Amino acid sequence: MAAVIAATGVVKTFGEGRAARRVLDGAALHVQPGEVVAILGRSGTGKSTMLNLVGGLDRPDAGTITVAGEPVTGVSERALSRLRRTHIGFIFQFFHLLPELSGEANVLLAGRVRGAAPDAAERGQALIDRLGLRGVARSLPHQLSGGEQQRFAIARALVNDPPVLLADEPTGNLDTRAGAEVLRLLRAGAEEGRAVVMVTHESAAADIADRVLTLRDGRLIP
Amino acid sequence: MTAPRAARRAFAATVLAALAFAACGDDSPPAAGGDSTLRSTLVDPDRDGFLDAGPAEPLTDRGTPSRLGETLVTFGQLTDTHVRDEESPARVPFLDRIGTPFTSTFRPQEAFSAQTLDAAIRALNAQRPDAVFLTGDITDNAQRNELELALATLEGGRVNPDSGGPGYRGVQQPDSADPFYYRPDFDAPAHPGALAQAQRAFTAEGLKAPLYPLVGNHDVLAQGEVQPTEQINAYATGDELITALDPELLDQLPRAEIDAQRATAALLGNQFFLPSVDVPADDTRRLVGSGEWERAFRRERFDYTVDLTDRVRAITVDTVNRDGTSRARINPDQLQRLDEQLDTDRHAIVFSHNPLTPEALQILDRHPNVVAAISGNSHRNRVTPRGRYWLVSTSSLADFPQQSRMFRLRETADGAALETWMVDHDGRGLAGISRELAFLDAQGGRPQRFAGERQDRNVRLFVNVS
Amino acid sequence: MIRDALAALRARRGRTLLAALGVLAASLVVGTSVTVGYSLATGFQRSAEQAQLPDVIARFDEQPRRRIDARVSALPNLEARSYRFEDLNEDLSAGLNSTGKGAVTTVFNGRRGYKVVEGRDIRDGSTGEVVVERGVAREWDLRVGDDLFVEEHGTLRISGIAVSPDNVAFPLASTARVYVTRAQHRRVAPNVALLWLSDPDKADVTLAQARSVTFGLGKLQFITRTGVEILLSQAAGIVISLLIAFSLVALLAAGTMLAASAHADVQRRLTGLGVQRALGFGPGRIAAQQAVESALVALPAALAGIAIGALLVARPAAELIAALNELGPGATLLGPLTLAAAAVVALVVAAATWPAWRAARRPPVEILRGGDLAKRPRRRTRASATALQPAARGPRTRGTSPSFGEAGSALRGSRAAGPHGVGAPTGRPTSSDSGPHGGGSLFGLGVRFATAARARWFAAVATIAVCAGVVTLMLALASLLERLREDPGTVGKRYQLAVQLDSSQLDAARALPGVADVGERYSIDAADSFRLGEPIRLVAYPGDHTRFENPPLAEGRRIANANEVEVGLGMADALGLRPGSTLAAQIPDGGEVRFKVAGIVRALENDGRIAWIQPDKLLETRPDLTPQVVVRLEPNTDPATVTRELVNLGASLQPVGAAQTDNAAFLAVLAAVLRGVGLAVGLVCLYALIQALTVTARERRGAVALLRATGADATTIGLVLAGVAVAVAVPAAIAGVVLELTVFGPLVSRLAASFASLPLGASAGEIALVIGGLLALSVLATAFVARRVMSEPIIAGLREE
Repeated sequence: MAAVIAATGVVKTFGEGRAARRVLDGAALHVQPGEVVAILGRSGTGKSTMLNLVGGLDRPDAGTITVAGEPVTGVSERALSRLRRTHIGFIFQFFHLLPELSGEANVLLAGRVRGAAPDAAERGQALIDRLGLRGVARSLPHQLSGGEQQRFAIARALVNDPPVLLADEPTGNLDTRAGAEVLRLLRAGAEEGRAVVMVTHESAAADIADRVLTLRDGRLIP
Repeated sequence: MTAPRAARRAFAATVLAALAFAACGDDSPPAAGGDSTLRSTLVDPDRDGFLDAGPAEPLTDRGTPSRLGETLVTFGQLTDTHVRDEESPARVPFLDRIGTPFTSTFRPQEAFSAQTLDAAIRALNAQRPDAVFLTGDITDNAQRNELELALATLEGGRVNPDSGGPGYRGVQQPDSADPFYYRPDFDAPAHPGALAQAQRAFTAEGLKAPLYPLVGNHDVLAQGEVQPTEQINAYATGDELITALDPELLDQLPRAEIDAQRATAALLGNQFFLPSVDVPADDTRRLVGSGEWERAFRRERFDYTVDLTDRVRAITVDTVNRDGTSRARINPDQLQRLDEQLDTDRHAIVFSHNPLTPEALQILDRHPNVVAAISGNSHRNRVTPRGRYWLVSTSSLADFPQQSRMFRLRETADGAALETWMVDHDGRGLAGISRELAFLDAQGGRPQRFAGERQDRNVRLFVNVS
Repeated sequence: MIRDALAALRARRGRTLLAALGVLAASLVVGTSVTVGYSLATGFQRSAEQAQLPDVIARFDEQPRRRIDARVSALPNLEARSYRFEDLNEDLSAGLNSTGKGAVTTVFNGRRGYKVVEGRDIRDGSTGEVVVERGVAREWDLRVGDDLFVEEHGTLRISGIAVSPDNVAFPLASTARVYVTRAQHRRVAPNVALLWLSDPDKADVTLAQARSVTFGLGKLQFITRTGVEILLSQAAGIVISLLIAFSLVALLAAGTMLAASAHADVQRRLTGLGVQRALGFGPGRIAAQQAVESALVALPAALAGIAIGALLVARPAAELIAALNELGPGATLLGPLTLAAAAVVALVVAAATWPAWRAARRPPVEILRGGDLAKRPRRRTRASATALQPAARGPRTRGTSPSFGEAGSALRGSRAAGPHGVGAPTGRPTSSDSGPHGGGSLFGLGVRFATAARARWFAAVATIAVCAGVVTLMLALASLLERLREDPGTVGKRYQLAVQLDSSQLDAARALPGVADVGERYSIDAADSFRLGEPIRLVAYPGDHTRFENPPLAEGRRIANANEVEVGLGMADALGLRPGSTLAAQIPDGGEVRFKVAGIVRALENDGRIAWIQPDKLLETRPDLTPQVVVRLEPNTDPATVTRELVNLGASLQPVGAAQTDNAAFLAVLAAVLRGVGLAVGLVCLYALIQALTVTARERRGAVALLRATGADATTIGLVLAGVAVAVAVPAAIAGVVLELTVFGPLVSRLAASFASLPLGASAGEIALVIGGLLALSVLATAFVARRVMSEPIIAGLREE
């Protein structure tokens, strides 16, 4: 089966001059559909970097990355946008909901970007219901609990039915119960055939993963 | 202990008084202006046409100085007061715009003559002269009501300057369209309401010192030039006021040959048709008849003698030509009388309206006791030496500088010294407006330099007999 | 501290440059405004002083010098006097240039009343030389040493070129003036007296005396220095004071923009501030640091901007000044320019330091926390996040979110039911588009972004509104110039056509399309009853004359009945008229008529010897008088069309008053100046828009990054930014137009009211142009900022926590 995510020889350096740090040094990552991969380690180090590079949020210094067969490296911003729209869903540690929109509107926002799938709105509403958020759909983020916010974020990530879900410390800001729910949702997403890559420092998160990788010397090793 | 303190106070007062007395002839810090010019003067240092208070002007010695002795007498001189009925139809203000020789037929301040006289009287009273000589042109147009107005102002008490109907009707009215008259309601510097104010009764202070008057040509001749006639009287007491001069008329009068008397006579006889307005008639505007002034002052004639003290004699000479014109006329019998009166060992001072004629002056030349011949008529301050004695001419109240004179005769080692200085009136109220307008007048005392030079004003004139 | 500041600036090179550009743009406007405003505002005073312009100029029939001097020297308040003989309509020629309207002035000894700017003055007693007015020299390209042929004097050598501000320059004024000595022109008697007063404020006192001694002089005419000033301003078509006012308004725009941009800059740097505070720097030091930084940016930018602005407008301003026969400020301009630069720098520094000071005083943690995306519920700790619920949400199961296990395809049960909930919904949920916090479009999102920070949004709107107002004002001014060009020298005239038309046709004329009003105008030249000077012109309209002729009121009020008159300033001076006094005029072949003066107006026609009355008294004495019929057209009506219609009614066309000056060239110069200033203001607008967008994008960096992470491409982001831009531009445009209509226009009109009554409201077309223009600028700004935003890595925005 073809890997949904295929990254090889990825190099990324941060800082300049004497402060330069080669965070990724020829790292590689292959994820199959339906697979949950957890990258373990403390937050803020290069593991998030890999995630960002896969999602096209950042560009590597060297290496190639493809998602669902489409290249992420060496393509224009417009292509990246399309890729992000259709193939990748992001989930962040700090939720990143827009504070002036309701939870529901935040979810539907993903469906409103130009080029989104035409049935995105329907799917968004269904997701809201499915994730048990109908009751608080009209509330603003600051009125929601952490768990509710993250679930809205997940719903948002799923609106465009992406084959890949990238989660950066998804439970980092939640209590154990809410965190457990989020992990369950991620697992469910994988059950639906998506590739899920999760960066986390919590061992509970690693429990739901099919594979656990750690970052050492700039490479991802199991 | 009160006695020594009182004594000290009295001593201090005496010293101060003595200092003040001694300082009378010297510089002192200027007062507010409108006073004896020995204390402060009125000047225009920035040349903007308006008077401000200036420094005092001390006496200048003229003649050969000699050691000064005691004061013999003080007296004041008022002259050419021209108390005026400005609303009278028997006037020719419309000639003023032609220029000389008619520039005295209209003055912007003409409505304020009584108030100006009152102010001058107040100023003289403050100088406390032993006597005051009024050397003629007491009134402006020989009218009976002018005579009465002047007398009332001199005597003091309630004075009513209005004539005709109540309020002002004349060439300076607000609705006058004639730009050649100063109309106080509009023309700069504007004084709205001043004309109305000038018609209101006021209380005059009245002259305190004994008054010795003379008449001038304006007291007995119409406009100072023309003998009163029935026709003129008809106009004076009539209801038609001529306001303007048709410019075309001017073309008919050759300028170089204008004779004031003839022109005035012709105009007052109304040989031309001129624009006029209706005014209320007033009988009291009748011109005075012969002898009326004498009767008013209870004198037989205006040639008389006053022995002011046992050391000083004042002699008056009537120089008015009652046949007409403003030129002096002194008859031979007047000359003879003059000669006789001068024959005394008292110091002699001669007063007249016009400056004395050469014949009269020759008589004065022969008398070594003559100190000065004092006159008016020219409206100009002037002091000229003549041999041993001096000829003094004084400005009027009609024109700038609107000053009167004070004199003090003092004994000297070699004869006598006549100190004289100008006195400004205090300029309160309408008198102040009068002086302001008089100074601005482009036909008046400022451009004609009536104020004279320093040596014409505050001087100490030495008359040395030996 | 300066070194630190320089380092900090270098680190943010791009932003520093942008800020500097902003200051430059604003300083540009300031520079042009100050140059134009100062030159024009002080031009007359300066040249009047340097040229020793007399306080009163009197003209009369020739008089022997001695005779006139006797009268003049008796006047009070006189500091100095000199005389001239003016010979009009003489032929002048030099090379290929010639004119039949030369004014050859023979100067007598004494003050000249002009300033020699090149070469030297003619010397009393010498012959063969002439001094030429600068306007003629410029127009004919004459230099010192050239020859000039002067009628009756032959060829004279130009010894000098002079400027005299007692009239506008040739060819704006139709007479070309040259000066010769008395030796050159023997046996000539003066017909002009120049008077210098000790106290110019008391000119009316001197005039009153002058009037009283001028009987028989003939053709007497007085002009005071004030009168000259008015003449100059009116000849220039009143646009001078409009320009000055316009400059003031532009200054206001620049100031607003500077303050807003400096303020925005601080917002950007909040994180840095927080770090500094965390490191232990006190707020005072931080504020001082900020002050130094902004000063280092502002100082060179302001100096450069002002210098460029001044240079940009230097040439047109100089030409304006030359046309008015005034002198340029020269080096004295440096004073106000330096002051302006200092003011700009002070403003920028203050506007930057104050918010920095305020922000720095907050605890460091608060400052650092200033991100823009929701992380956790506000004002709640993590522990109590689920415990507390706002009551408005209604009853709810205690904190527990429904388990995911019940998810799948089933929808939520009643456990989550609340007032917002849908109960036990099955089937499709309704779209939540219409909810108050509902989605709305991306464009709407942009609008929300813009208005989220109220104060900043307001500042941006205010800045652009003022700029928009200025541009609208400029457009209104431009169309005013157009009107003046077609209708030169008719300040105060509100009608465009004059015809002979039978009175029976008046109603028909009024009914014609494009005709606003039709009136009857009687005009007759009368003599004043006292023959003080030249004839006076009486103009009579039945009813309200201001519908057709509207000279600005200087004193008093308009006429209210048939007994009153409004007199021109020239006449008032000559006859000593004031509100309340009486005018007596001799009507030719009629009698004398008298009027009460109601007011004094500034009128140019007939040298100000003109008066407005109602025709009743005139017709009583001259019932045979027939009026002209004057027609006022609606704005934007073609006069040719209306003329044709009128001719059809039987009218014959008549010329509308003689032009006082030839305005075309002058107006072109004015237009150049306006364009210069307008361009600068337009740049400021663009900059402000970019500024607003950039700042918003910066503040909502996280949101933008998120959108991009969700897959928004450049176009989508552009859409959002467009929302931001429109959210600022549209209210700004509307506010700007309203500002112009209600504040700027009336203000400028009022400032110019001493010269003309002209409404400066913008037309519908101009308003549409401004709004459209702003929207176009918005598009530009959006595109510019979008590109910059897209070039940034997404992760950087997300990391901004």
